[in-house]
Amino acid sequence: MKHITIILPVLLLLAIAITDQSHAQQRFPAPEFESGYEYPEVAAPEPRTLALEYVDVMVLLGFMLLTSWLVIRKRSRQWILWLSVLALLYFGFWKGGCICAVGSLQNMALSFSDPSYAVSYTVIAFFMLPLAFSLAFGRVFCASACPLGVIQDLVVINPVRVPVWIQRSLGIFPFVYLALAVLYAATGTDFIICRYDPFVGIFRMGAEFHLVILGISFLLIGMFVARPYCRFVCPYGALLKVTSMFSKYHLSITPAQCIQCKLCSGSCPFGAIEKPTTGKLMDDMKGRSGKFLLYAALIPLLVLVGGLTLSSAHVFLAKAHPDVYLAHLLIEEPAIINDPDNLDVQTFLASDRTLEELVVSAGEIQATFRTGTRYAGAFIGLVAGLFLVSQYVVRRRTDYEPNRGDCYSCGRCIRYCPVQKQDA
Amino acid sequence: MNLSDKIKIAKQTAMVAGAFCLLISLLLLLHFLQMRSADPLDSQVLETLVERLAMEPGNEQLKNEIRQFDLLARKAYFTSLWQVRTGGFLLLFAAIILVAALRIYFALIARIEEPPGEEETAELTGRVLSRRWIMGGTAILVILALAASLTVSDPIERYLADIAYPEKAEEQVERITITDPEAPPAEDTPVPIPDTPATGEEPDRQPADTPAEPGRPDPKPDEPAEPLKPSFPDQTTIRQNHNAIRGPWSQGVVYHENLPLEWDGASGKNIIWKVPIPLHAYSSPVTWGDRLFVTGASERERKVFCFDRHTGDLLWEASAANIPGSPATPPETTPDTGLGAPSATTDGIGVYAIFGTGDIIALDMDGNRMWARNLGVPDNHYGHSSSLVSHKEKLFVQYDDRNRGRILCLNVHTGETIWDITRDSDISWASPILADVDGNYQLVVKGNPIVAGYDIKTGGELWTVNAMSGEVGPSPGFGGGLVYAANEYATMVAIDPASGAVVWQDNFYLPEVASPVYGNGYVFIATTYAVLACLDAKTGELLWEYDTDDIFYSSPMVAGNRVYVTDTSGNTYIFETGSEPILIGKNALGEEVYTTPAFADGRIYIRGEKHLYCIGI
Repeated sequence: MKHITIILPVLLLLAIAITDQSHAQQRFPAPEFESGYEYPEVAAPEPRTLALEYVDVMVLLGFMLLTSWLVIRKRSRQWILWLSVLALLYFGFWKGGCICAVGSLQNMALSFSDPSYAVSYTVIAFFMLPLAFSLAFGRVFCASACPLGVIQDLVVINPVRVPVWIQRSLGIFPFVYLALAVLYAATGTDFIICRYDPFVGIFRMGAEFHLVILGISFLLIGMFVARPYCRFVCPYGALLKVTSMFSKYHLSITPAQCIQCKLCSGSCPFGAIEKPTTGKLMDDMKGRSGKFLLYAALIPLLVLVGGLTLSSAHVFLAKAHPDVYLAHLLIEEPAIINDPDNLDVQTFLASDRTLEELVVSAGEIQATFRTGTRYAGAFIGLVAGLFLVSQYVVRRRTDYEPNRGDCYSCGRCIRYCPVQKQDA
Repeated sequence: MNLSDKIKIAKQTAMVAGAFCLLISLLLLLHFLQMRSADPLDSQVLETLVERLAMEPGNEQLKNEIRQFDLLARKAYFTSLWQVRTGGFLLLFAAIILVAALRIYFALIARIEEPPGEEETAELTGRVLSRRWIMGGTAILVILALAASLTVSDPIERYLADIAYPEKAEEQVERITITDPEAPPAEDTPVPIPDTPATGEEPDRQPADTPAEPGRPDPKPDEPAEPLKPSFPDQTTIRQNHNAIRGPWSQGVVYHENLPLEWDGASGKNIIWKVPIPLHAYSSPVTWGDRLFVTGASERERKVFCFDRHTGDLLWEASAANIPGSPATPPETTPDTGLGAPSATTDGIGVYAIFGTGDIIALDMDGNRMWARNLGVPDNHYGHSSSLVSHKEKLFVQYDDRNRGRILCLNVHTGETIWDITRDSDISWASPILADVDGNYQLVVKGNPIVAGYDIKTGGELWTVNAMSGEVGPSPGFGGGLVYAANEYATMVAIDPASGAVVWQDNFYLPEVASPVYGNGYVFIATTYAVLACLDAKTGELLWEYDTDDIFYSSPMVAGNRVYVTDTSGNTYIFETGSEPILIGKNALGEEVYTTPAFADGRIYIRGEKHLYCIGI
């Protein structure tokens, strides 16, 4: 059977071949001469009705209510698993991964920065509901309502334990991604979370080549390193992590008094179970209170350095905006206008805009980026500072407990606990 | 079924599903390689056939071959899509089975792990390492950000600084040029007509009274002349030519003498030559030296034609094709406007023409392309019809369409935009004129609803009068220090361009297409209800009116003390410019005329529906 686990990655890598259509255009080009054929009028699909959008919100709400009940009261991993499969089918394969709470944070960011951008109540609900539930019950959204998380959870076959220092170090990346995603969304540049969503191609059975590779890579890694996207990439997960830390009714491993059997200690594939604190650790931390204060004092400096450093890269980052990119291109390579295959340039030339108008617009966008990168860099500096300080903070624990920020409420640990509910 | 049986079944299921995954993956991989080697969207055969069709546009057999190959390619493409999609679904299905079987298998063979022992130092070590890696990671982010800032320059800032300080930017003009200075493709090279040597008179390259350009010092006598930027003609030279629709500066006044008073198209009386025009359009002829230029346009092609104005020989023709941004399918226009309604203009250095596709092209006097660009397809339900006018290095384009009112000023040498303004005007079909006001030229433009004067250097609006309405076709007139603007269903106003004040207003006779013209203290209006009216230019008083046989599309032209106006039947009426309607001549061409004639000493050039006529004594 070991061979299977070796062959499987090979098989899935071969599956990238399904993306061969991504090399081609999605639409066959029109004939290059007038044939007299009258093209049928292009009909745009009708938008989803508002009622169906509300249905999606209600389904999401239902999933999270049910998951919360299953996690807190029913304490059933099996039910959570099947519920997550349903969520994957509905929000993933049926709805094609859109709208999702992860991407909705970009809509929210853009609506705050651009008053003319109207964000629907559905988007607001998708953004707010998981956060509200995580404040109350922990990350139940991740457990069985997020298709991105669920598809990774289902392929967890033989997870390895990631060293705690790797987990904590890489844990900063979702916050960096969050800062960049908000920056790009707020400047109207791009929704990078959606653009680089690794699983949407699988949900929709078609995507660009690199995205399918990315998605399959995440799933292959996810067989051994559980939920790699959720743990080390997901920017919305970064928000949920923060809110979940303050959750009032979080999943508990044991329904009653922990008997310190340690059976649950290896049950979590995400390394989210924290052991009881030892006296040695507490003593050691007490001895390092000076360093704690030092790092706490360094936070403003990190905020300043982060803001200034990222701001210095604002031109580089702004080039992701189509106007800025095009302006750079036309100024630096004016001969590019003779390239009939450069659709960006040809589209611009066919438009009413002049080069001056384009450059002025690009200049304004770059100025916005200069400001935005200051905030984003300062945020990253703040997060780095808090991560450093957190290494000197220890909560006294007497039992095995889930880390409220890192726990996905999947319920795996519940199965390992020999204490029964009636024992409580 | 015992545990080992369950393990065995899970294992075998996983193996079968894995093998199926492998098979589908291999098939998809083969398909992928096949499509890469023979992409139906990139068929060399089809490309070659299409290239051949460009050379043989009438080859029906070739068209059929292309259609067959095209159909074949489409079938291959869509079959490929189906195969990929079906394979994708099969692979997904098999992968689900595989993952489920593996999960069951590993669950069945799982054993409860022995609880780990107390690892007191592990947590401490983990925290130390975490701290180091967080610091290291943060440092890497800082380095990456700094590296990113160093790898990218900011041309936008430089460019914006150049706009703010143009004199500093002059040296960098080439860098930001967005037009093609290179030679045009083979298809666009002029087609010389044999046995017709061009003997064009060279324009005055260094007129003594040409003032220096603003911001440029006068060239010193011992300095060599700039070879790439020939001097522009002075006022005298311009008056010797008919370089734009309605003559010099598009004012409707020409300065030629010995013009014919009698001709007859049917008998050939005083018709010096008559030649067919290769491509129909409603644009008017313009002349420079010995050359006469007209444009023609159809759905398939847009061209500029150069004739010897003495003999009527076609000297060359140039196609406005292969222009970046030009639409593959021309915009829809009505038959009475078409794609070639705007007239070209020339300054003796180049010929500049615009078409209803938004393509604008500059050719040298031998028909070689200097530059070409597309200004964006105009959203115009009849078709774009505003003609061009130029002044020195500036080429003015009135580009009002349904989206916005717009005027562009382009560099005649490069085509690059000097200024581009959006104005408070709706779509219009009028053409701009140049008016010399207190020693400075203004660009006077009509639109709906405004008549306005613009600073030709900056495009700044100098004055505006809100007086027009409806579909504005006639262009403004200028003379006696006043601008005259009129439009059917609106009004006629005389405006002082120095102040923008309305001097007088009249609503009695209003033109729909033909433009008003000033001559010797009078203003002439040619209407689409077959009336030529004369008004006092200072007061707007109606002095006389004359009923003609047919309506006027062609604009009246003033030459000396005469006004020439041609109705759509081809009858040209010649009146004295005076307070009484003194008809000097009425001459029939025998062909419908919708364009405005061009004039030269002793010659009148009229573009009929099919022919170009040279009339003279």
